[in-house]
Amino acid sequence: MAGNTSSPRSAVVVGGNRIPFARASGSYIHASNQDMLTAALDGLVARFGLSGQGVGEVAAGAVVKHSRDFNLTRESVLGSRLAPTTPAYDVQQACGTGLEAAILVANKIALGQIDCGIAGGVDSASDAPIAVSDSLREKLLAANRAKTPLDRVKALSGLRLRHLVPQIPRNSEPRTGLLMGEHQAITTAEWQISRTAQDELAAASHHNLAAAYDRGFFDDLVTPYLRVTRDQNLRPDTSMEKLARLKPVFGKGEGATMTAGNSTPLTDGASVVLLGSQQWADERGLPALARFVDAQTAAVDYVNGGEGLLMAPAYAVVPLLARHGLSLQDFDFYEIHEAFASTVLVTLAAWESEKFCVERLGVDAPLGSIDRSKVNVNGSSLAAGHPFGATGGRIVASLAKQLSQKGSGRGLISICAAGGQGVVAILEAI
Amino acid sequence: MSDARTLTLDSTPNLTVLFARAAATSIGRGGPLQDVQVRYPRTWIHLPRLAAYDKVCGFALRDTLPAPYLHVLVFPLQATLMADRRFPLGMPGLVHVRNRIVQHRPVDAGEPLTLRSSARALRPHEKGAQIDLVGEVRVGDELVWEGVSTYLSRGASVPGETAPAQHVAVDLGPDAPANAVWDVPGDMGRRYAAVSGDVDPMHLSSLAARAFGFPGALVQGMWTKAHALAAIEARLPEAYVVDVDFSEPLLLPSNANFFAAQQDHGWDFAVRPADGDGDHLRGTVRAL
Repeated sequence: MAGNTSSPRSAVVVGGNRIPFARASGSYIHASNQDMLTAALDGLVARFGLSGQGVGEVAAGAVVKHSRDFNLTRESVLGSRLAPTTPAYDVQQACGTGLEAAILVANKIALGQIDCGIAGGVDSASDAPIAVSDSLREKLLAANRAKTPLDRVKALSGLRLRHLVPQIPRNSEPRTGLLMGEHQAITTAEWQISRTAQDELAAASHHNLAAAYDRGFFDDLVTPYLRVTRDQNLRPDTSMEKLARLKPVFGKGEGATMTAGNSTPLTDGASVVLLGSQQWADERGLPALARFVDAQTAAVDYVNGGEGLLMAPAYAVVPLLARHGLSLQDFDFYEIHEAFASTVLVTLAAWESEKFCVERLGVDAPLGSIDRSKVNVNGSSLAAGHPFGATGGRIVASLAKQLSQKGSGRGLISICAAGGQGVVAILEAI
Repeated sequence: MSDARTLTLDSTPNLTVLFARAAATSIGRGGPLQDVQVRYPRTWIHLPRLAAYDKVCGFALRDTLPAPYLHVLVFPLQATLMADRRFPLGMPGLVHVRNRIVQHRPVDAGEPLTLRSSARALRPHEKGAQIDLVGEVRVGDELVWEGVSTYLSRGASVPGETAPAQHVAVDLGPDAPANAVWDVPGDMGRRYAAVSGDVDPMHLSSLAARAFGFPGALVQGMWTKAHALAAIEARLPEAYVVDVDFSEPLLLPSNANFFAAQQDHGWDFAVRPADGDGDHLRGTVRAL
């Protein structure tokens, strides 16, 4: 595989913007995906003086979207202050959507196809599409095709009351029928991750996010929306004692350890990131927070292959590190998406496990342990919430700013996604 | 403090009640225009209502208010004035023929607003009499929004010289194709009534509309104006004047064509019947 050193240039992260994330059926109950993505774009436009200007492209997406939103990102661009001549397209890779969008934009910048672009994502768990049953849909389509009124009546005959029951989207895997949390509960038990360790990680996420807000870290990363100024899920005063009182919601019996406190809640929100070539940023007097170095995706066979649904990022880092001659310890910050507290803990344990690394990852030695004080230093999804498509943009912008503040070093992003996929990326200070 | 000339509201009046009162007291209206104003201090935006309005009109849900939404807030004050026995024209059958809005700056949905409305310029018209209902919105002392709604009362007679009618002129280019085709459903008058409170019966049912001489129910002009502005929402200046006149009523259901052309300091636009002549609405936007 070609090293990134052969690229003519690399993309830099200029900055980001997101709206505060709101709990499902909370403050954004009336906001559509398009409303929220438009708000996030307009905030970015205002922050970087892009009003009326175009960018090379906007790539973004939502994981759960209405069929009418086939062109969600382009429609949001048309409703934003960006020039209407800005091309846009939708991306969907489950929870990897936002990071995958950033990879696509960064790659085009690296190839010289565009000079700048915006990547992002959005999701609403409140304004979810509701589908009709396949039986009803087939009958309606047949009636629509019918040429005579009699044919139409025939097509609709046999319609039963039960066919009218709407189908509400579920956070479950189509091939296994298991909710993501149920999948993760299996992995959590397999790796013997304790309830205490999970609750500790959850508490740290809330405390780190609250501290980051308090020191103004998000002042130029978040724009209030609909009177929400901070992530609604954030509980600055949560504690091990409070978290310990929650009943498990995933897993069975004595071994059930996953609660609403150490799992991410359903959330509404949107985020976007502005990327460009160094030259593009320099010419406009815009900052360059971090270099978008490289990225990698991987997928695991969680259906019949005996691997955990959310284990793919553990695999994806192997070729990524190899391409750059880096070890897992060569990073100053790790952003490991907290789909569940146990996702982070299992990933760390897997990298430490000789058996897993040798047998599954196919490397000679374990990747080793990492300094836990470098993980999710500004909080992550357990505290902020996780609007599926918006998480990648949140992480890229936050990590880039963190690297910019440190002035040196590099960061690793790891995001697990439904369908057994994982997206990982390296950012480095400029 | 209220004196006889200033009615101060402390909650949004029920428009259905006002419409009924105005109808019941419409006989025998007349006389000169009196100096009465309605004031509603400390109004707050109710986000779910704003969201419902945005959806019906086609605006994105933002933290800043669409300029015509402030008309929706001021409208109950206008209706209060019209329902007052001192108002010289009967409210039933009053037709909104022109609307001019000045947005001095975008208004945030979180700002406390003071609304005010009064009437002025009662004048003869070739088809009856016209009057302007003016509204203003302030944040503290700062004037952020002004609106002038011109109403025509057909058949009413007031003393004075009839001035020549002034229309909004638009330059949309010859034979320009429509920018968009609108499919306006039959219930749009009721849907807009639900989010705006404009429950004038001629928008709700064709039977009532026929009583006022229309062939069927017609959509509120302010919906048409709002929907047109929503179509160019992302390209509007921060501060602007939007002036429209409503000519042919947009009967429900309808297909209509929307035209818009960028000008030096704004936009010209029109809504026209998909299968006929004339204009439902002509409008201009000019940056301040």
